[in-house]
Amino acid sequence: MQFRTKDFPLWPKASFFEEFEPGQTFDHHWGRTLTESDAVAFNSLTLGYNPLYVNDEYAREIGHPRSPVNPYLAFLTVLGLSVEDTSEKNGGAFLSVEYVSFLEPVYPGDTITAHTTVHQVRESKSRPMNGIVTWHTHGRNQHGTRVLEFSRTNLVQRRSEAR
Amino acid sequence: MNEFPGLIPGHITGYDNYFEDFAVGQRFRHARGKTVTDLENVLITNMVMNTADAHFNEDGMKDHPIGQRIVFGGVTASIVIGLASQDSSDNAIAENGFENMKLLTPVVHGDTLYAYTEVRDLSDTGPDSGTVVFHHWGVNQRGEVVFEVDRSVEVRRRPADTAGASAPRERSNA
Repeated sequence: MQFRTKDFPLWPKASFFEEFEPGQTFDHHWGRTLTESDAVAFNSLTLGYNPLYVNDEYAREIGHPRSPVNPYLAFLTVLGLSVEDTSEKNGGAFLSVEYVSFLEPVYPGDTITAHTTVHQVRESKSRPMNGIVTWHTHGRNQHGTRVLEFSRTNLVQRRSEAR
Repeated sequence: MNEFPGLIPGHITGYDNYFEDFAVGQRFRHARGKTVTDLENVLITNMVMNTADAHFNEDGMKDHPIGQRIVFGGVTASIVIGLASQDSSDNAIAENGFENMKLLTPVVHGDTLYAYTEVRDLSDTGPDSGTVVFHHWGVNQRGEVVFEVDRSVEVRRRPADTAGASAPRERSNA
């Protein structure tokens, strides 16, 4: 006999387009301590073999206490932490990142949190099922220092189109 | 002399990609491609706590026009920049950031990514380094552009003392 999934109300996640308005802010959940194993896995899988990120001795020669975390891993982590509150709704394509600024190095052992402001909300002419939202997001470390910031734009599903 | 040859050209970093080696308009086709699998997409997406299950729920995607998991754009970007990294930023001392990153074509498991680069801007920013802006393209196995970005990197100048430098292998056009 098939499991009666309908007997269980969905614990909903993520927001529809209609729920975003400019100026809204989010302090996103969880936070993430970036570890050495994260750094190694990321550099290995993306061929990010810059010695700055994979060779502690070299990193020390150019003035770091050890290899910093690849800034693209730090960026993806801040973006990842922001997803549930921003772009998780299925059907919303990731369109663009207008800019990213890497402000401070992140080292293994640093704990990153993510924070977002809704920047712009607009209609999509070509995709009426979706709207377009632009968010400004930044990441902070455990000292409260901003380590990176970016602007990102996605299609977001409309409530009226939800199935 | 330093025991560790980190700053001698051609040992730990490339011999011919210091700030002085780049010129605006130069184009590079990077030698390696990478086929994207769930190892890259699902592992990195889950590792960075991106909760959008379009990237890791194959069943949930069966009614979607793409019909299967879609690779997280951040993973596509990181792989393309990784493929371009040895040639463009082996001598980087810092990544400044990037602008105008566009995700133009969905990437799915099994697609192969290649990287192409054009030098767009050079600026003198310090005695030991300069800023290089690279435009990178990520291209799939069908020749479609999947990703573009303008990436700004701080690249070291060639050291004055190049004793012990190791020139790259002879190149051939074969």
